[in-house]
Amino acid sequence: MTAPAAGTECPPRRYAHTSVQLFRFSAVSWNAHRIHYDAAFAASEGFPDTVVQSTLHGETLSRNALEWAGPGARLESVAWRNVATAVAGEQLIWAATVSSVEGARVRLDARILKADGSECVTGTVEVTLAG
Amino acid sequence: MTAPVVSSPALEQVLARARELIDQWRDEDCGTPTVKDFCRYAAALNDGEYIRRARAMEADGRPVEAPALFLAATMSWEDGPPEEELRPDGLARRESPCTEGLPVRQVHGGQSVRLVRPPVAGTRITATRAVVSARHKHGRSGEFVLLGVRTRFLSPDGSELTSVDETIVVLDATGGDR
Repeated sequence: MTAPAAGTECPPRRYAHTSVQLFRFSAVSWNAHRIHYDAAFAASEGFPDTVVQSTLHGETLSRNALEWAGPGARLESVAWRNVATAVAGEQLIWAATVSSVEGARVRLDARILKADGSECVTGTVEVTLAG
Repeated sequence: MTAPVVSSPALEQVLARARELIDQWRDEDCGTPTVKDFCRYAAALNDGEYIRRARAMEADGRPVEAPALFLAATMSWEDGPPEEELRPDGLARRESPCTEGLPVRQVHGGQSVRLVRPPVAGTRITATRAVVSARHKHGRSGEFVLLGVRTRFLSPDGSELTSVDETIVVLDATGGDR
C-alpha cells in the first residue's frame, strides 16, 4: 500500500471470540487462569462468561493492523491497556487511526470497542509497510 | 507529598514482597520452539495461512519465523506445575509474583511489546524476567497495587528478540476497601 497520511481512519472490523478459541488460546499460551475457560468460576468473579485474554486482545490489535497495512507489512511494536473486560461471544469492533508516518513506518492509535461504542482496549501499533 | 496509606493488609504484603524483588532478574529456559509449536499457536488464532506458509518453508529447508507475538503471549515456559500446586484461580506461583497465600486476585492491566528480531524454529531461547516496579493506587473501585514485570527474550548469542513490559493489577479479594 502507499503510505497513508496521519489522521487516516482505518476501516473498522467486527468480530467475536468464541469460547472454543478462548480455551485453545489459553492452552497454547499455557495460561491456566480459570476466568478464561471456566464459566462458573468467571461468574464467581462477576463476569457474565469466560473472559478474553489480555494477550489475545494484543493479537487482535496487531493482526488487524497488519491486515490493513497489506502483504509484507511487519509488526514493530504493540502496546495496549485493558480498560474493560470482554467475554466469549461478545461483539467487538477493532478501530484505528493513523497517528504518525515516518517513511515506511506507520503508527496507529488502535482501539477495541464494545458494541455500544465504549472502550474495551486502547493501544498503539507500529508497523513497517512492505517496500 | 505523603504516600497514600495502604488500608488492605494483603496489598501491603504484596507491596513489601514486590519491593524486595525489584530488579532481581531470573532466567527461564524457553527451550527450542519447533514449527509445530508455532503452527499450534497460529491455529488457536485461526491463522491457516501462517500454517500453510510455515509448513511449505519447512519442507523447502528454509528458516521458519514464529508468529510475531508468540513469545510475548506465552505465559509460562515451565514444565509444570501439577494442578494441586496451582492457586484456586488456576494461576501458578510464577504467574502470580508476590501474592502467594494472600487473599488477593489479579488481572492484566496491559502490555507493551517491542519486537526486535523474530525467533526462528530450532533456536534455543532464554527469558530473563524481573519485577521492575510496584505502586499503590486508589481508583474508582478502591485500592490496588500495580506490579510492573519486564521480560526480555534472548537468543543464544545474548541478542534480544522481544521485550515485554506487562502491568499486573492486584486487588484485595476480601472486599476490604473495594
